Amino acid sequence: MVQNERAAVLIPVQEKAGLGMTALDDFTPLVRSHQQRIYRVLLGMLRDPDAAETLTQECFLKAYQRRASFRGEASVGVWLLKIAVNLARDHRRSRLREFWHRLSSPFEDVADLGQRLPDPHASQERVLLGREEVAAVWSAVEKLSPRQRAIFILRFVEEMSLEEIAEVTSLKVGTVKTHLFRAVRAVRQRLKGGGAGE
Amino acid sequence: MNNHLSEDQIIEWMLGTRDDFVSRHLETCRTCSVAAEELRSAISCFRDSIHATAQRDNSFWKEQQLAFRERVSDWYPLHWAWVVAMVMVLITAVFLTRTPNPPQNKATEDADKALLQEVQADLAREVPKALAPAVLIAEERSEILTNKEQTRTTLGKGEK
Repeated sequence: MVQNERAAVLIPVQEKAGLGMTALDDFTPLVRSHQQRIYRVLLGMLRDPDAAETLTQECFLKAYQRRASFRGEASVGVWLLKIAVNLARDHRRSRLREFWHRLSSPFEDVADLGQRLPDPHASQERVLLGREEVAAVWSAVEKLSPRQRAIFILRFVEEMSLEEIAEVTSLKVGTVKTHLFRAVRAVRQRLKGGGAGE
Repeated sequence: MNNHLSEDQIIEWMLGTRDDFVSRHLETCRTCSVAAEELRSAISCFRDSIHATAQRDNSFWKEQQLAFRERVSDWYPLHWAWVVAMVMVLITAVFLTRTPNPPQNKATEDADKALLQEVQADLAREVPKALAPAVLIAEERSEILTNKEQTRTTLGKGEK
């Protein structure tokens, strides 16, 4: 499976008949197998399902355009996550876009994503407590730098190792650990501070 | 006296660093184990909420794949149009920068030729250019002397 994925990326465009459409057919299974994870990471980084959807497409388009530059040093998954994290960072940098988005969808707030807790059988009290905790973590994650947020999401949502995160973020393992430590401390302080407060 | 784990120790435990002292303390100290469990549980709930939100039905993912294919199809003609446009710009730039050059080069070549001819003419002179007036004076003097000599000879013959 991994071999096939690598081949789909590594086969040069020139060797493909029709310059594009055949190569695209090879690339589609790659989209299928990675799109959920990419979407999830983007959702965690942006807290905006619409933006996550658009940037997931953008991520695969960028990967397709740049597939000639993929050397196969890292796994395809890591390569795609790298593109996704950079896209999310660029997206958040655009303050103006953020401003217009907030203006157009003012109800997309911490609580919206916190509502979706997976266990429907939990007690009412537990559900409420869980929502408060989720809201508090979201609130803390929102205030992290884009890099720290990416590292936090990759570690705790995608459960990636520090080494894999270091590959995605092009940082040293020690630096990743430092960022992660600060991010968790911010979350803990937020939790101690009494929930979301928003 | 504070015998509880520090915040850093709890965070390290959360990051997966396993220390015997911390593990033993968490087994016996209810305050610290509650604090550590609160942090773990909050992050776990956060993780579950993102996973639950990202759980979309099959049609959503199919639409994503179709949208990707459409964007690639849109990108190809645009990509080639861009490449062709860049090549045209380059060719135009090369033409624009080359056209005024030939007359300038010809003028320089002509000036070089003229200078070379002048130098060659100078070298071909018997007398350096600076001494040319002196040569003229010497020639004039020698002509006068010759004339005088001829006059004297003619007069001497007449007296005889």
